[in-house]
This record gives sequence, C-alpha cells and structure tokens, in this order.
Amino acid sequence: MSGADRPVAAAAREAFAEWVAASREGRRFGQLLVRRAEDGYELRHLADAGREDLRPLAGPAAAREIARTTEGGEHRPLKTSPNLRRGWTLRVEDERELAAALNYLYPAALVHWHLERAGRLPVTHYRETAGRQSGIYEIVRNLSDEGVQAAARAHCEDEVCLKRPLWGVDAGTPLKMEPGEGEIPCPEPCSLFISFARQITLFEREGRDASGLTASERRDLAALVEAAAAGELPPAREGEFSLPGNRRRLRYRALTLVPRLREPLAD
Amino acid sequence: MKALVIVGHGSHLNADSSLPVYEHAERIRASGEYDEVAECFWKEEPSMRHVLDTVEAGEVYVVPAFISEGYFTQQVIPRELGLEGEVTHRPDGKTVYYAGPLGTFELMADVILERAADLTAGHDLSGGRRALVLLGHGTDRNQNSSGVIYLNAGRIRERGVYDLVEVGFLDQEPEIVDVVENIPAGHVVVIPVFVAEGWHTKETIPEDLELTGEVTRRPDKTIYYGAPVGTHPAMADLIAARARELALVRG
Repeated sequence: MSGADRPVAAAAREAFAEWVAASREGRRFGQLLVRRAEDGYELRHLADAGREDLRPLAGPAAAREIARTTEGGEHRPLKTSPNLRRGWTLRVEDERELAAALNYLYPAALVHWHLERAGRLPVTHYRETAGRQSGIYEIVRNLSDEGVQAAARAHCEDEVCLKRPLWGVDAGTPLKMEPGEGEIPCPEPCSLFISFARQITLFEREGRDASGLTASERRDLAALVEAAAAGELPPAREGEFSLPGNRRRLRYRALTLVPRLREPLAD
Repeated sequence: MKALVIVGHGSHLNADSSLPVYEHAERIRASGEYDEVAECFWKEEPSMRHVLDTVEAGEVYVVPAFISEGYFTQQVIPRELGLEGEVTHRPDGKTVYYAGPLGTFELMADVILERAADLTAGHDLSGGRRALVLLGHGTDRNQNSSGVIYLNAGRIRERGVYDLVEVGFLDQEPEIVDVVENIPAGHVVVIPVFVAEGWHTKETIPEDLELTGEVTRRPDKTIYYGAPVGTHPAMADLIAARARELALVRG
C-alpha cells in the first residue's frame, strides 16, 4: 500500500505513538497524561500525575467504562467536557490498543489531531451543519449569527469543553470566543451543540415584555432566585438545556441576560 | 481488512441508550470475525460524521441498531455517514455496505423468544394459558414502526411456543394496557421491542401496567416484564448475521 493510500486512522495511530514516545514525561491530551511504558503505554488523569495510589486498569474496554460516566455517575454525552473521572491508571499493550482506548476516551480525537497537524483536517462550519438538519433540529438554520456566537461561547469554551473549535458561523465569519489551547481540534459543531442551538433558536423566537425580558428569562430568574434561597441550584443534566439550572443555559444567560440586567434604567 | 460499524441512537441524557451498542460491539469483537468493530451514535461520540475516519479497514459493514425502517435508517444515517445506498465507494478507497434495520430480520423472532425464555426461567407457567405480548412504541406517523411488531408476532405465532401472541403499543391502538388487561391467559409475558432501556421501559410502562417487579401476580393472571429485547446478548448474533448477509451483496 502506498503512502497516499494509507488509511488515515493507521497513520494517526503511528504518529500519536511516536509523539508520545518522544517525550520522557509523557504528553497531555485533553485531561489525559499519556506515557510510554516498558511494556506498552500508560494513561491517567493529568491531575493524578504524581499519584501512586491509583486503581490499575488494563485494555481499551476499561477506557470505555472510565469515559462513560463522571465521578458522580452522571452520563457524559460529550467526552471532552472537563469532567473525566480520576483515580485510575490504564495500561494498554501496544499502539493499536492505545488508539482504541483513546477512541473511547476522546472519540475521533486522535485522527482529528493527526489531520490537523498534517494540515488536512476538513472543517464544516455552522451554517452547513445546520442546513443539513431535519426533524426537530431543522429550526437551527434560523439561529442568528449573534445567536451562534453566544451559543458557541456558552457551549464550547474550555470551562465546559476542551476541544478547540476550528469552525465558524460560516467560512467568512470566525467564532468570537476563546478557543482554548487544548490538543484536540473540533472540526464541526457536535450533536450536543446542535441540540443547544435548538434551545437558543427557541429563545430567539420569544417576544419581550415592557421590562425587556422574555418569558423564559423571567421563568429562569424566578427559578434561580428560589433555588438560591433554598440553598441549591435546581438540578439539570449536562444535555438538559430546557432546565434553568443547566450549566450551558446559565452561561448563555450570563452572556446575554446579565448585561441587560446591569444596564442602568433609562428615565 | 474488514470492519463492522454499529450505529446507535445514543442520548444526551441517559447512559442506558448507548450501553447495549457498546456491549454488542464487545461481543462481536471477541468473536474475531472482524479486524475492527466500531460504535457510533447520533447523539453521542463518535458521531456518524467521523466514525469512518477512525476505521482502518477498506471494507466496512454498517449495521444500524434500530428496530424498524424509518426516519433514522432511511434519512439520518445515510446522510450523516455520507452513504449513497446499499454500497458506497468513498474517495478514501473505503467501500461501505449498509444494512437495513434489525427488526425485520428473521433472527429477530429468536432473540425475542430467548428474552422471553430468560424472563420466565425458573417460574412455573403451567396452569392457565400462556401469552406473549410484544410491546412496541408505535406512532401514527410511520407504519413501519408497528409493522415490524406485527411481523414478529406473526412469525412467533407460527412457531406455536405460546398459546397466544399479541401486540400492544404506547402511542397507537391497540394500547398495551388494554391488551394486557383483556388477554385471556393466566401467564402473560410482556417483551418491550426496544433497542435499549429508557424512560418508557423503566418508568412509564411499569407504571401504566401497575407492575410490582419482574413478576407481578394478580388474581386472574401473572405478568412477566423485563428488559427490552435490544439489550439481550443474542442481539449481537443478530447484528453479526445482518452484516454477514450484507457481505453477500459483494458477490
């Protein structure tokens, strides 16, 4: 097989193994520390770098279980959310097992990392991804440019996702957000982002009352004040954008509602 | 080299949705039939958009872990995977073969019967007639959704294992509650024909049927209710068989 025909996944796996082997202390990849070991490779949470008391695990299937849920047992629909659980160390035998384990911990990240370094990673911008959607997601094509920008900041910044977005609103309109310095590029809005964009599209359809608030903003404020009075945030899962306590929804409110609330009242 | 790719719906909210896909993939991986076995999802990662780039093999068999033909198998999956039909030749040299959904495949009836047998194992089903009820979601928008339930009921009826084989739905007639209520049998085995556990299988169905657990004894009948058919280990055989049948397309 000639170099040009070589499957990109195979080239990615080899390039990654070389990259890891070239560093004595190991490489950071997302929240992982990946190191060459005597008999293969060793992975652990970056924050567990110096620890000796970690639970020893082996093989790609164990990586899948680590990746599925958070420390608290919550589902992880977006694997690059910075909520990778700690307390384990994972041994894999060889380059193939390393690639398989990484594909569970950060699905498709290895191949995207490689293609970006080679300058060959195709990028799909928001308008194209949105234009492809159907069913309940068809409405996301109506989201305004400002809506896409705010949604990306609320949904994709490093506080909530470690991927570095390469996509923009369209090819001529880059995102106005801090992309982060992570190793993992994001070549296209993900399914969770499209679901979030749907929620923001619904927000944009709302009218405003005399005080300039929308109905959902009023409901969220009421729920949040009540919750704060009771001493806890209303619970919402990571992908549960319809609830006031959802982290990304709150981030969107912080970006789009708080500045208006802080504006001095006109006479 | 050849690869199998299993496509699941996945969920932004629940880990239960993708779990059976991972488990079936692991079983098929262990069989050694494929050089690679990969999972991908509509709502989880890797996405259908990216999974084929993670596969090294040039010959790729795609099997959707969906019960019936419809919106996902006909529209969403081909669009997201960039498929042109049953066979797609990609610019990167990969050839991708795309299978239909699982529910219409002959082996589906066997998996349902295995699930039912596991559920009733160790229970005495003598005394009274034995009924099997296939529970589907159903929707008035897509006749295939209920069609596949009727198809399997018909196939199981022909085998004569149960005295009665009926169907019931959540979202269309006949409604599951009425079917279970009125069925003239002492033992009623209810099998959800769903690919994964979820809100319906864990919450709404047990509530609607007023179940107390896997076995619910009422004055007139005993009801057996368990996990959906899609979580049964035998589904892995069905997925593998679906892919094997697809390989015949190659000729």
